Amino acid sequence: MARPVRLTAQAAAVALVAGLLALLVWRVVSQDNNAVAQSLDKGKHPTAPAFDLKRLDGSGSVDLASLRGKKPIVLDFWASWCVPCIGEARRLTAAHKRYGDRIAFLGVDTKDFAPDARAWQRKHGVTYPSVHDGDGKVLTRWGGLPIPRIFFIDRSGKVVGELVVEEDLPRYLRQIDAS
Amino acid sequence: MSRLLAAAVIALALVPLAAAADRPSLAKLEGEVMCPVCGTTLDQSDSPAARQIERFIKRRIAAGDSEQQIKDALVANYGDAILASPPHHGFGLLAWWVPLGGIVLAAGLLGWGIWRWSHTREPAPATAGAPLDPALDRRLDEELQRFDA
Repeated sequence: MARPVRLTAQAAAVALVAGLLALLVWRVVSQDNNAVAQSLDKGKHPTAPAFDLKRLDGSGSVDLASLRGKKPIVLDFWASWCVPCIGEARRLTAAHKRYGDRIAFLGVDTKDFAPDARAWQRKHGVTYPSVHDGDGKVLTRWGGLPIPRIFFIDRSGKVVGELVVEEDLPRYLRQIDAS
Repeated sequence: MSRLLAAAVIALALVPLAAAADRPSLAKLEGEVMCPVCGTTLDQSDSPAARQIERFIKRRIAAGDSEQQIKDALVANYGDAILASPPHHGFGLLAWWVPLGGIVLAAGLLGWGIWRWSHTREPAPATAGAPLDPALDRRLDEELQRFDA
């Protein structure tokens, strides 16, 4: 093969490999490390990423950013196929009865089939509203699977923590209630 | 008249077969729909989320939906990523056209390279040797004459 042709082919191959490598790095850096859960793990308290999702009951949508500054928020990622979500939803429903007038409780039904999710809410007597994140993009920005994932957002819109152990629930509820 | 009747009976008998051929099958759809939590198709997953979608597909097949209607309902709920093959519109088109474009480009480059290689080769060196030394030539003639004699 002539020298210019060989050089062009080599340059194209190097550019292709460099492009694929850049894509890989971009994916790792932009999607994994910037998620809310990963920031919390590093001791940071990021501003809650905004989302605007349709309500599960079909009555309009909820814009998380519009709640900022008004009330602290408990954000619960769940799905009807998630067995541990049942217990967490019951605990949050009990907390909603106690704190519901001062703290906003919002469920995010994720990677789930909406009709099944509505039936699941009725079956388990969930009293707080939920939005539908069918493709799971919002969940990814908050840390991804597994669920349930429950986050606590103070009145200023900062994420103060994620529920890891049972004792976190009353502790974080008191913290954001006082914010 | 009897032939007409027989043709009508055969046609009626074939209608259910044709309808069955058009009916979507769970097995086929399981290979074309992704499990939203495991990154595999439904037929390779045993997760509760995959079972949930399978139940939905079974219900829709029983209700008489077409394959496209079932896929449309799944995309409306889960987004385009629920289908194993990328969509034929928007950004998804890249996944269909880039490999084809790559093959065409590679074939073009290969053809051009071969054409260029075949047209830029230097001609092979002539096999004829240098003219003989006159003394050697003369001696060769003498040898040949003696041989003929």
